[in-house]
Amino acid sequence: MKSLVASLVAAAAVCMTSVSTLAQELNLFAWSEYVPQSVLDGFTKETGIKVTYESYASNEEMVTKLLAGGANYDLIVPSEYTVEALVKQKLLAEIDHSKVANLKNVMPMYLNMPHDPGNKYTVPWMAGTVGIVYNSEKVKDPITGFKTMFVDKYAKRIVTLDDSREFASWVMVSQGIDVNDVTKETLAKIRPQMQKWMSLVRSFDSDSPKTALQAGDVDVGIVWNGEAALLIQEDEKFKWVLPEEGAHKFIDSLCIPASAKNKDAALKFMNYILKPEVGKEIWEAFPYTTPNAETRKILDEDSLKNPASFPANEEKLATFRDIGEMMAEVEKMFSDLKGQ
Amino acid sequence: MPAAVTPPPTDDLDTRRRPGTMGLLLIAPMLVWLVALVVVPAAIMVVYSFSERNPDTGQATFVFTLQNYVDLFRPPYVKAFSLALGTGGVAAAVIVLAIRYLGRQWMWLAELLGKVQGRIGAATFLACFWIAINVFADSSGEGGRLLKIIVDSINYAGLSTIICVLIGYPAAYFIGRSPESVRNLLLILVMIPFWTSFLVRTYAWITILSDNGLFNATLQWMGVIGEPIMLKDTPTAVMIGLVYTYLPFMILPIYGSVERLDNAMVEAALDLGAGPLRAFWGVILPLTQPGIIAGVLLVFIPAIGMFAVNDILGGHNVQMIGNEIQQLTTRARNMPLGAALGTVLLLIFVLIYYFGTRRRATA
Repeated sequence: MKSLVASLVAAAAVCMTSVSTLAQELNLFAWSEYVPQSVLDGFTKETGIKVTYESYASNEEMVTKLLAGGANYDLIVPSEYTVEALVKQKLLAEIDHSKVANLKNVMPMYLNMPHDPGNKYTVPWMAGTVGIVYNSEKVKDPITGFKTMFVDKYAKRIVTLDDSREFASWVMVSQGIDVNDVTKETLAKIRPQMQKWMSLVRSFDSDSPKTALQAGDVDVGIVWNGEAALLIQEDEKFKWVLPEEGAHKFIDSLCIPASAKNKDAALKFMNYILKPEVGKEIWEAFPYTTPNAETRKILDEDSLKNPASFPANEEKLATFRDIGEMMAEVEKMFSDLKGQ
Repeated sequence: MPAAVTPPPTDDLDTRRRPGTMGLLLIAPMLVWLVALVVVPAAIMVVYSFSERNPDTGQATFVFTLQNYVDLFRPPYVKAFSLALGTGGVAAAVIVLAIRYLGRQWMWLAELLGKVQGRIGAATFLACFWIAINVFADSSGEGGRLLKIIVDSINYAGLSTIICVLIGYPAAYFIGRSPESVRNLLLILVMIPFWTSFLVRTYAWITILSDNGLFNATLQWMGVIGEPIMLKDTPTAVMIGLVYTYLPFMILPIYGSVERLDNAMVEAALDLGAGPLRAFWGVILPLTQPGIIAGVLLVFIPAIGMFAVNDILGGHNVQMIGNEIQQLTTRARNMPLGAALGTVLLLIFVLIYYFGTRRRATA
């Protein structure tokens, strides 16, 4: 819901800035709780380009707003499977690599990925994973994965991401189904367990799931690893678990929509955030798995040891692929099972 | 003077008071506003609702179809609806017949029936139908989800409207009957919340309602409860949020009616031997009814389409029509189906408004 506040603010900002189009502008449409204001200010200071940051809480929401038109976004930050769908629909502009020299800073395992061979359309922003975080003062039995967390004794003590594809994937891995094998049959198969698990959840929050854990409203959460890393930094009582049933990694990339007006400004921004020190600035505010090798070099020892930020088996985790029309089915099932 | 005793204006007066071209010019900005921000968007929505969905983008493609409405009114809803109509009808008939029968036994009941004749049948039927549809919407399973959401939304909005009347009427009456200096101060107090953003105020409720929040901490400190009561992320929290948000919209119109209430009427009633209760029921309430109806419309209609309060205080776990439309148009990427549901909601509004104002006209 912070995204709602942010988008209202952004909308107001758009109204005001559109009056004076003298200065160059960049409309950034990114996940909520993802872009530190200091980075935007730094970019403006260096280039003179003003940045308007509007936020969203799910890939699907972003795509809809992009397609609905009306707003002109110069940069978006879709996850890998959404990149794939956007490329298929020819909605992204190709990147001029000569203008993004800092792409060389990105670790090889985050380049040339299946969703965008050759990085024709994407510049990695942040990678990460989704895992379990729990309050060890309240949770005494060890939680090792989804099956040990979705149990009756934690009923209504759980927060999870408000994300249909994510939630479905947790049930799928626990039943040994590949997360990209989304068909009517597999959905029918996971439905009963998904219904049971969802009924145990107290609140769904993709913007800032850590808030409910901090407030003590819940004891267990399935959250973005960056949010978990912040919780762990803040208080040792929070423990991070990468689910034993399996996890996946996500990679959110900066992309330029084909309809963007300020492609040059967008390229400058891509190059700017790939600087090692800017990468560090972003990481310090939102400690996800930075794909920037140079940034990792300048982080201190303790930071690199945060288990939530840098999962041990980083290289082995697979990513989501585009599932096309099945996405609508997943979304439908998720909202069908809500609020029971 | 109250409208009831004002002599009807003569034709002569009427023509003199009718606005000329100047008047039209004056309201032109409002008309433009209405057309641009109400009529045009509503028209776009209706057009979308009859359009096909583009499977790639989820947007509307302008090919005429009724499919969206077919999707909305799927067999489970129709079945639940007809079952509710049937059982509601039968139950109402049984109750009315029973009352008639008892009416023959007891004179006082017959007397009462004579007064409310006609209305009682309709009211009983509506009540029975509503109870029945709640039951059937709950048990109609997977396919009946949308019906359940609509029924739930009407329940939440209806209940918060009733609570708003119960809290708002005495408050408005007190403010309206206060001396002028106090009155203005009290009115400002009612309006102060509007000085802060609605979203910020709703977020503030999180700190009150959460497990370790102000409400639970206070009760625990007083020793009333041991374990915290789960309020946040429940329908109760949503109700609290709705009542909090819309209470001023109930108080202000009722205050308007109360302020215009002629004291002489109330005194006359009391002089003629009516007790305070009778005076309230027979004189004060009918004279302030326009304010109540305006308040009900101002609270119920926006409340039924609310989605921000339910998302913030209901933990994305309490679904109302507003959330469903938001999900359909954004995440589920089905603009036409979202538009169809929006059109249905618009029709519900029109019906409520029609019945709300029709009753006012007959009153």
